[in-house]
Amino acid sequence: MKPRYLTCHVYLAFARKSFQKQMQYRVANLAGLTTNFFFLLVQIFVYTAFYAARPGPQPLNLNDIITYFVLCQSFLMLMPLWGTRSEIANAIKDGSVALQLTKPVDFQTYWFADELGKACYYLLMRALPTFLLSSLFFKVTIPQQPASLMAFAVSMTLAIFMSTSITITVYGTAFWTLDATGIVGIAHSIITFFSGMLVPLALWPGWLAQIGGWLPFEGLVNIPFSIYLGKITGFAILMAIGKQLIWSVFFCAIGRIILNLGFSRLVIQGG
Amino acid sequence: MDTVIDVRALSKTFKVYHHRKGFLGSFANLFSRKHRLVQAVAQVSFTVKRGEIVGYLGPNGAGKSTTLKMLTGILVPSSGSVTVNGYIPHRQRKENAKRIGVVFGQRSHLWFDLPVQESFELLQRIYRIPQAQYHHNVEMFDELLSLGDFFQTPVRQLSLGQRMRADLAAALLHNPDVLFLDEPTVGLDVVAKARIRQFIQQINAERQVTVVLTTHDLDDVEKLCKRVILIDDARLRFDGELATLRRLLSTERLLIVDYAEVYSDISIPNAHMTYQEGTRVQYRFSPEEISTAALIKAILQKFKIVDISVQEPDIEELIKAVYEDNLLLNPPANFP
Ligand SMILES: Nc1ncnc2c1ncn2[C@@H]1O[C@H](COP(=O)(O)OP(=O)(O)OP(=O)(O)O)[C@@H](O)[C@H]1O
Ligand SMILES: [Mg+2]
Repeated sequence: MKPRYLTCHVYLAFARKSFQKQMQYRVANLAGLTTNFFFLLVQIFVYTAFYAARPGPQPLNLNDIITYFVLCQSFLMLMPLWGTRSEIANAIKDGSVALQLTKPVDFQTYWFADELGKACYYLLMRALPTFLLSSLFFKVTIPQQPASLMAFAVSMTLAIFMSTSITITVYGTAFWTLDATGIVGIAHSIITFFSGMLVPLALWPGWLAQIGGWLPFEGLVNIPFSIYLGKITGFAILMAIGKQLIWSVFFCAIGRIILNLGFSRLVIQGG
Repeated sequence: MDTVIDVRALSKTFKVYHHRKGFLGSFANLFSRKHRLVQAVAQVSFTVKRGEIVGYLGPNGAGKSTTLKMLTGILVPSSGSVTVNGYIPHRQRKENAKRIGVVFGQRSHLWFDLPVQESFELLQRIYRIPQAQYHHNVEMFDELLSLGDFFQTPVRQLSLGQRMRADLAAALLHNPDVLFLDEPTVGLDVVAKARIRQFIQQINAERQVTVVLTTHDLDDVEKLCKRVILIDDARLRFDGELATLRRLLSTERLLIVDYAEVYSDISIPNAHMTYQEGTRVQYRFSPEEISTAALIKAILQKFKIVDISVQEPDIEELIKAVYEDNLLLNPPANFP
């Protein structure tokens, strides 16, 4: 009997390949873990001092803040442009991306699978250990309601998906700039800031928080972690997840369009 | 025999943009429109029949790789048409891809970080190769190319020769009808080259795989190709049997002279100096224009010599002659 392969099976294999590739850099990962932990310490000291200096009610109490930053450091590598430099950037730069066209694969799905495989790796080998390790040292809140855990899981999944799409979109600009470094640098700063990774949106001045709310990037960090902390509840959860969903679809579409335009340019201009 | 590759009046013109460097430059590049045009392939036509091995030759920058890229769907032609197995490569990219094998010798198609075996298994999925065929092919290629020595090694750790063997095998796992090889022996030692040639020959003989290959190694051509296509400066110069090319040009001879001292002007009427190294000078001449005896006499009259010899040019010289003199720019009427 002839074995049959489903198309999706192929892309799963790509994702697995990407996962395995990351596994080769375990030492680097361990070093990264240490760095995560160090930054977490600094962040927590700063906020502890800040809260001690300004007693009185705050939108997030110290415990919330600690948990928020534990989550930030845990999921850091899953955020856009934080993980190891995407292979697509190098492949575009050295021109080897064109060789993909000689294979019967859908190159857009290929790159998404590649990034998602990497995301799975960081989820298991970075997010989980960082979170567990941090829970040993700090008082990390765990949501009591299974429903909010569920909502968090959905929201985080969307955040990761959105992150992947943004990463592909940004690196895809290398088709035009050849070296994406400049654009990556700018996008990285903007996204890191407006996602709420440095300071939760709840602590921003009103006008800035409003801008942040209009931008898509709070869907990466601020929304899922606020759901986790129980700061977004009830119907607002649906609204927040809806917003993430819309932006995820948006960036996924943009990512595909960028790759499509990039490859069309490649086959006409020859890289 | 049926036609597998059909190329008609194929042309490719590149726009070369001025690239600015640096941080701000990368943004400026998004908008910059300054460019010049480079004609890489101009009005090239040929057909290839099933089972042929064709050497696609030409000097650096002639347009060989560009042509192969258009045949494999990596580039869209500026004008003209291409079909491979009846497919238009850049329009029916995936259909075409399923039936061709491609090796660009300068670059690996395998996954850099994965062991060869895992790259192969990914390819098995990509091309949906049935298990039995996969195992049969891996076994056969292992026998011919000794893949077993490095089957578990990550591609980035392979030597150039090993990598080329792996790439070649990878390109054939899915039993393609046509194999495109761009410099498959570049940088390899004599033994490795011989092995790759033998492999290509065997695959061609056993499976009727059509092969189009570019190379700068004329041994490759002599051993593998009955037919050669020469291009130079984007244009087709010759298309026919290697033997025809040789016959056509073998009216030319080489005269190698070792002078007793270095002379400032060593030009000889009716002889074309092709190279000089110290006191050794090589001329090319046509016996129809000047007899060997007359030529030697002319030299002896003017200079002191130590040694002199006459040679029939080898194929390398022939092709160089074509490149340098555009000998075939206006091919004779009976030209194939
Ligand atoms: N992507 C590109 N953009 C602009 N010019 C290009 C591009 N690719 C090739 N060219 C130009 O087109 C011409 C033909 O290049 P090509 O790579 O086809 O040559 P080739 O015959 O393969 O040479 P070689 O023997 O050195 O590999 C060259 O002048 C080259 O500079
Ligand atoms: Mg080339």
